[in-house]
Amino acid sequence: MNSFKLTNINIGRTLIYLILLFFAFIYLAPLYVMFTTSLKDIEEIRSGNLMALPMDPTFYAWKKAWSSACTGSECRGLAPFFWNSVRIVFPAVIISTIIGAFNGYALAKWKFKGSEFIFGALLFGCFIPFQVILLPMAKLLGSLGLANTVTGLVLVHVIYGVAFTTLFFRNYYVGIPTELVKAAKLDGAGFFAIFRHVFIPLSTPIFVVTIIWQFTQIWNDFLFGVVYSGSGTQPITVALNNLVNTSVGGKEYNVDMAAAIIAAMPTLVVYVIAGKYFVKGLTAGAVKG
Amino acid sequence: MGSISLNGIKKSFGETEVLKDINLDIKDGEFLILIGPSGCGKSTLMNLIAGLEELTGGEIVIDGNDVSEESPKDRDIAMVFQSYALYPTMNVARNICFGLEMSKMPKNEQEIILKRVSSLLQIDHLLDRKPGQLSGGQRQRVAMGRALARSPKVFLFDEPLSNLDAKLRVEMRTEIKKLHKRIGTTIVYVTHDQIEAMTLADRIAVLKDGELQQVGTPYEIYNDPVSHFVADFMGSPGMNFIECIVKDQNLIIDSGGEKYELSIPCKDALNNSNLDVVLLGIRPEMLTEIQPLVADNSFVQQIKFDVEVLEPMGADTVAIGQWNENEVMARLSPESGNTAGKGFDLQVDTSKAILFDPNTGLRIR
Repeated sequence: MNSFKLTNINIGRTLIYLILLFFAFIYLAPLYVMFTTSLKDIEEIRSGNLMALPMDPTFYAWKKAWSSACTGSECRGLAPFFWNSVRIVFPAVIISTIIGAFNGYALAKWKFKGSEFIFGALLFGCFIPFQVILLPMAKLLGSLGLANTVTGLVLVHVIYGVAFTTLFFRNYYVGIPTELVKAAKLDGAGFFAIFRHVFIPLSTPIFVVTIIWQFTQIWNDFLFGVVYSGSGTQPITVALNNLVNTSVGGKEYNVDMAAAIIAAMPTLVVYVIAGKYFVKGLTAGAVKG
Repeated sequence: MGSISLNGIKKSFGETEVLKDINLDIKDGEFLILIGPSGCGKSTLMNLIAGLEELTGGEIVIDGNDVSEESPKDRDIAMVFQSYALYPTMNVARNICFGLEMSKMPKNEQEIILKRVSSLLQIDHLLDRKPGQLSGGQRQRVAMGRALARSPKVFLFDEPLSNLDAKLRVEMRTEIKKLHKRIGTTIVYVTHDQIEAMTLADRIAVLKDGELQQVGTPYEIYNDPVSHFVADFMGSPGMNFIECIVKDQNLIIDSGGEKYELSIPCKDALNNSNLDVVLLGIRPEMLTEIQPLVADNSFVQQIKFDVEVLEPMGADTVAIGQWNENEVMARLSPESGNTAGKGFDLQVDTSKAILFDPNTGLRIR
C-alpha cells in the first residue's frame, strides 16, 4: 500500500518535471540558436542544421558585430552605440531614481494639501503611451536646444521614468511607520535629515527594484532612441536595428545574432547580479521596528 | 522647569471636532495621566503638546513661554511611542544618541550621556544591537533611553505599555514610576488602562469625546467621580449602577421578591434634586458577606442577594446577581463558601455610595 502510493507520487513528479523541461527547452531554444549561430561561420550556417553545435567555433562574428559591422553608411560596429547607451542609461537611471525617492518620501510622509492629487497625476504618467508625447517632446527638446543630443535623451527618460520611480518609492515608504517620522522630528531632525538618516538606510530593496526597472526600460528603449537621437548619439537598440537592416552582399546571420546578444547583455547582467534583491524588494512590505 | 498650561485647546480634522476647549494646568514634576476610551482625543492632545499637529485654537504654554507656533524640536519635549518607533537601521547606542547628534553635540559628551542613560535603564549590554534583535521589554527601555538622553523639560508617553504582555507591563509600570521618582521631570502619559492610571498618576484627567470630564487625584477620581461616565470608567470590577425609586429619602431595592429601604448619606442633595428615580452608584467592595461591625456605622444594612455567577479572582471572588433588574457585583472573600444559584444576605455599606441623575448622568450632591 505504502509503496504503491510512493510510486504514484513518483510518476506524478516525473510527469511534472518532463513538462517543465519541455517548456524550458522551448523557452531557451531561441537563445541556444542565437548563441550557436553566432559562433558559426556563414558557410556552416547556409549548409548546416539550425540546431547543430558549431563544428569550428569562431568569435569572428562577435568581433565584427562589436567593431566593424555596418550600421547604415558607417561601418564601426556596435561599440560606439553601446557607449552611447551607457552614457544615456547611467545618468537617466540615477537622476530618475533620486527624484523618485524624494517624491515618494514627500508624498508618503509629508502630506500637504493636494498631495494626493499630485500623486494621482504622477500615477497617470505611468499610463501615457510613448507615442502620444513624441511630437510635443520633440518640440520641447528643440526649443531647449537639446535635439539629437545624449542630454536630450537623458531628459526624456528622466521625465518619463519619474512617474514609475515615484510610484515605487511612495508605495514602499507608505509601509514604513509614520511614528518614525514623528520620533525623528522630536529628535530635532528636519525633512532632509530624516530622509538621509532614517529612510535611505531602509531603502536598499526598493532602490534595487527601481534601478533594475529603470535600467531595463531605458536600455531597451527603441522609440525615444530612434526619434530623438542624431546620427552620432543613437543608442544601441537603434544601431542594432540598422545593423540588421544593412546588408552588404549576403545576410550575415552570425553577426546579427552576436549583435543582438551584445545589445541584450547588460540587462541580463544587471538582473543576474541584483535579481535576488528584485524579488525580495517586490515582496518586502513590512519593516519591523 | 517643566510646567504646562493648556489654554482653550481646540482641534478639528476637517468637519470633525476632536478636541473642544481643553483647559488644563500641569505642574512642574507632575505625573499626569490622560485617560479615556479610544477615539476620545487623548493621543491627539499629546501630539498637539509635542507639536506634531497644529492647533485649531487655543495656546500651549510651557514654562511660561507660548510654544503654540514652535516646531517640535524647539519645545524641549521627548516622547515615547506606543510602537516605540526605534530607528530600525541604527543600533541601540545611535538610537539613543540620535537627538544629541542632531543638536550637534560633540561625540565625547554624547558618550557620557549614553553611559548615564544606559546604566540607568540597564541596557549597557545591548548598545550594539539593532532594534530588531531586541525583545519587547528591551525595546521599551531603549525608547525610554532615547527620551531620557535629551534631558527634556517634559516627557510624553503615548500608551507605552500596551504592546507588552501582562506580566512585563506590570514590571515596566513600576519601573516608570521609579524613574519618575528619580528624575522628577514632568510626565504626561496617555493610556486607556485605568489600572495604569490609578497606580502611576499624581493626577488623572479623564477625557471623553474631546472634552475633559474630570481632573483629580486617583483617590478623587475613584471615590468622588463627577459623572456616571467617570465612575463607570475607573475601577475593576466596575462600579455598580442600580436604578432606584426614591421613597422618604430612602432608596427602594428589590432583591427579586423582597423589598428593602436603603438608607444613604447624601439625603439633602437627594431632596433638592426632586427626582423620583435615581441611579445609585456603589463599588463592589462595599458589598460583602456579613462581617462583624468595626465601628458604629448607620449606613450598613443587610440585603438578600441571589448569586447567578461566581468569578473567583484569587484574592477575592466576584459574585454577580441582580437588584432592581440591574446587574450587581459584590466582592466576597474566596473562603465565604457561597455557590452560584444560592441566595444569602449581603452586607451593604452605603457610606461611600453616590447618586447620579439617570437622565443627565451627573452626580447629585
